[in-house]
Amino acid sequence: MADRQIPGIHKCIAVLWPSFLTAVIATGLFFSAFDPAELFPFNADLEISHMGIYTIGFFLFWLLTAVSGIGTLYFAMTNCMRQAPDSREQ
Amino acid sequence: MMNVPEAQGQVAARQSDEQVEQSLYAKQQKIYPREVHGVFARLRALGVLGLLGIYYITPWLRWDGHQAVLLDLPARKFHIFFITLWPQDFIYLAFLLIIAGLSLFFFTALAGRIWCGYACPQTVWTEAFLWIERKVEGDRMRQQKLDALPMNARKFRIKATKQFLWLAFAAWTGFTFVGYFTPIAELGGRMLAFSLGPWETFWVIFYGFATYGNAGFMREQVCLYMCPYARFQSAMFDADTLIISYLPARGEPRGSRKRSADRQAMGLGDCINCTMCVQVCPTGIDIRDGLQYECIACSACIDACDDVMDKMGYDKGLIKYTTQNTVEGAPTHILRPRIIIYGIILLAIMAGFVYSISQRTSLGLDVIRDRNTLYRETGEGLIENVYTLKILNKDDIAHVYTLTVGGIPGLQLYTDHDKIQVDAGEVKELPVRLRADEAELKVRSSEVLFELVATDDPELAVSEEARFLGPQ
Repeated sequence: MADRQIPGIHKCIAVLWPSFLTAVIATGLFFSAFDPAELFPFNADLEISHMGIYTIGFFLFWLLTAVSGIGTLYFAMTNCMRQAPDSREQ
Repeated sequence: MMNVPEAQGQVAARQSDEQVEQSLYAKQQKIYPREVHGVFARLRALGVLGLLGIYYITPWLRWDGHQAVLLDLPARKFHIFFITLWPQDFIYLAFLLIIAGLSLFFFTALAGRIWCGYACPQTVWTEAFLWIERKVEGDRMRQQKLDALPMNARKFRIKATKQFLWLAFAAWTGFTFVGYFTPIAELGGRMLAFSLGPWETFWVIFYGFATYGNAGFMREQVCLYMCPYARFQSAMFDADTLIISYLPARGEPRGSRKRSADRQAMGLGDCINCTMCVQVCPTGIDIRDGLQYECIACSACIDACDDVMDKMGYDKGLIKYTTQNTVEGAPTHILRPRIIIYGIILLAIMAGFVYSISQRTSLGLDVIRDRNTLYRETGEGLIENVYTLKILNKDDIAHVYTLTVGGIPGLQLYTDHDKIQVDAGEVKELPVRLRADEAELKVRSSEVLFELVATDDPELAVSEEARFLGPQ
């Protein structure tokens, strides 16, 4: 039902956009507390620049927060179905 | 089925819900906002130019031999004009965010969505993209005609020109963004030589693409579907908040008429139903339907309507900045509990921020007691305590410091280094031993005070308390 009405693009926005904002905050907090140079002492072999590590960190955070957003969306949608049992008959 | 009427009621309710949702999520028609001239359009243009100017010029400013605003991530320090912030100073950023949030509350309660209409980056960049579009494609009518045409050489040329200008502007925006994190002059040189690093290239493209997508295509949809502020701003509104409103008592019944016609004889209000207010609206609503959450308070409809009222020889202000109370004939109160409370909290936090910035020293000292032994008795009958000092030099140059300690008469200080030198931005760990005569220790735990002063600058000093433990 909710699945049928909300277009995919708006579901994408609902998941990706808030998770983007929280990922920005998480990245800021995380890297102000931890220096990548100390976190990954073996990084010298890989030669990823600081900016590269921050970028990868940001996208990892975004992935995590987006997964949480997908979970919320999924549970919200399935919960709707439980609250309206007659919709299953149709 | 025992509860048939209720079930029918539920079905009906669900159907109406579906209708509402379907209309909410209906496929968006492209909106062609008509260009508007007037007092508020000039104000907005001023706001847009000022804010874009700040954004594009700031990274090029110099201060004291370095880029004035540089968020140097690899070196983990932020240069903001005369101040250099380290990761330890992240608290100031949190302060700033709280101040920004509270200001938004305060100004929303006072003046409604002025943020949306004049200062929001979404509005600012959309205005810039719309301006480019108008320069290339012409006004609203021409744009609509062009879009209705099948693709031909002329249409392709015009569209390609617009896309090229949009992309160039977006790329410059992305480049400027990265310029806040990497020295921009050097970055520009490398960009011209096509030798940008992979991560820099990525962020220029990513940010440029976000600008292009948001300001070129998404536009009002960002405000309608993505903006959290648009959803909750109404919670800060009350009947005394400044809003943009159509005055139905004056405008209705609306209807078209000749300029020379006697509206009173025709039984008409001041609204001539020219739909100019709808045509200029960037979110495509009709302000005459009342206050709607889609309204970003850009005031384009005020300018448009004032213009029409002038032409008709009527008084301006059929659509205007007003409050719900004024529209309903009640008095408007500017000072009210909501405003006073927001204002006091905002002032208090701002004062705290300014005070803590002014009291901030470029020197940090942490004293950590040795956890393994409480104290040790030396051969000469003295009691010894061991500490590790963490000295953080937050200045841009290296300093040599003098360490003193007091609190117990005859307290002796021993360190492994004669000279305590800490490089710029370095955290130095310094093991320290304190020895005191047992006779001087009145209680089991005495207070001692470490004082650290830079030899070249007596102002640069910090002190930290610690406990000295003894046998009694």
